[in-house]
Amino acid sequence: MPNSTPIRILIADDHPVVRVGLRNMLLADSNFEVVGEAKDGAEALTLVRKIQPDVLLLDLAMPNMPGMDALRELTSEMTQTRTIVLTALIDKRQILEALQLGARGVVLKDAAAEQLSACIRAVMQGQYWLEGRPVQNLVQTLRDLAARATPPPRKTYGLTSRELEVVTLITEGCTNKDIASSFGISEETVKRHLTNIFNKIGVGNRLELALFALNHDLLPPSQPGQPA
Amino acid sequence: MSNFLSREQLRPNSVLETLLAEEIFDRLQQAMASDPTGFCELYRDYLSDAGESLVALRLACEQNQAETLCAKAHYLKSSSLVLGLRPVAQCCADLQELGRNGNFKAAVEKVAETAELLESVRAELERKLGPGVIPSAA
Repeated sequence: MPNSTPIRILIADDHPVVRVGLRNMLLADSNFEVVGEAKDGAEALTLVRKIQPDVLLLDLAMPNMPGMDALRELTSEMTQTRTIVLTALIDKRQILEALQLGARGVVLKDAAAEQLSACIRAVMQGQYWLEGRPVQNLVQTLRDLAARATPPPRKTYGLTSRELEVVTLITEGCTNKDIASSFGISEETVKRHLTNIFNKIGVGNRLELALFALNHDLLPPSQPGQPA
Repeated sequence: MSNFLSREQLRPNSVLETLLAEEIFDRLQQAMASDPTGFCELYRDYLSDAGESLVALRLACEQNQAETLCAKAHYLKSSSLVLGLRPVAQCCADLQELGRNGNFKAAVEKVAETAELLESVRAELERKLGPGVIPSAA
């Protein structure tokens, strides 16, 4: 039984075949109306502002403004449009970020045929959609995601693991002698490590190195029980 | 996150698994029941686009262009997923990984594997939809 007012949907994906496929899936349902299509994030933003759709289906990986950037812009504009993220494979950090940026649902592309209609309906009823079903407790879901999301790999700036250990000790105020003793190596070897480190990250002395390490997240995360 | 497919889940794990996810093909066909020509055109456009993507992927491998390799692989993966061609999508995911690691030698082999898969997809789609699904030669 169709509603009197169909749900107005904007599709944003850089692939024309994907857009056509999605459009046809949606048009089979008389409760849905596809009111526009965008081929990149910038065009999606323009069309959201112009058309004010009820739902934006947003691909995350698009040229000329990726979906996550478009989502960030939309969040700052307090639009009424509800965004559902479409993605090929998503990691938990991305899900978390998308939800924090205001996305109301996440649907995998190969599940679109099966789940998209239900997802749109759930989102229009004020629910969130994740893992192929409506989310009952968003706060708990966000907590779970945050707990399970793997942190991004630490940037190392080409430093070896031993050089990173040297950097850590330098920031703790250790002398070359301390470091040599700590690793069971000669002071000459410590000096060679330091020269390599200076060259790799472009600093000239220990103080600059310590500041660089602190400002560029070069230090290992604190272990439980250690001071932050 | 049990309902999100991992790479392993994406990978076909038995000879019984077809190239084309029947449930996705059937749902799309049902959705476009009033426009069978449009349905055939959708898959024809996919095949045509996939052919162009293969050319771009080979070129990216030859020129050691990791970023282009990843982008083109992602592009083909996207349409493959929506139209139910999971094994092709898996090859594309592998290509993205190889591109990220700068492993162009293995990527060349993976592109060849993708091309073979697409040949099989072509044959399967022709069997299902008739010769109209085959793109005309450029």
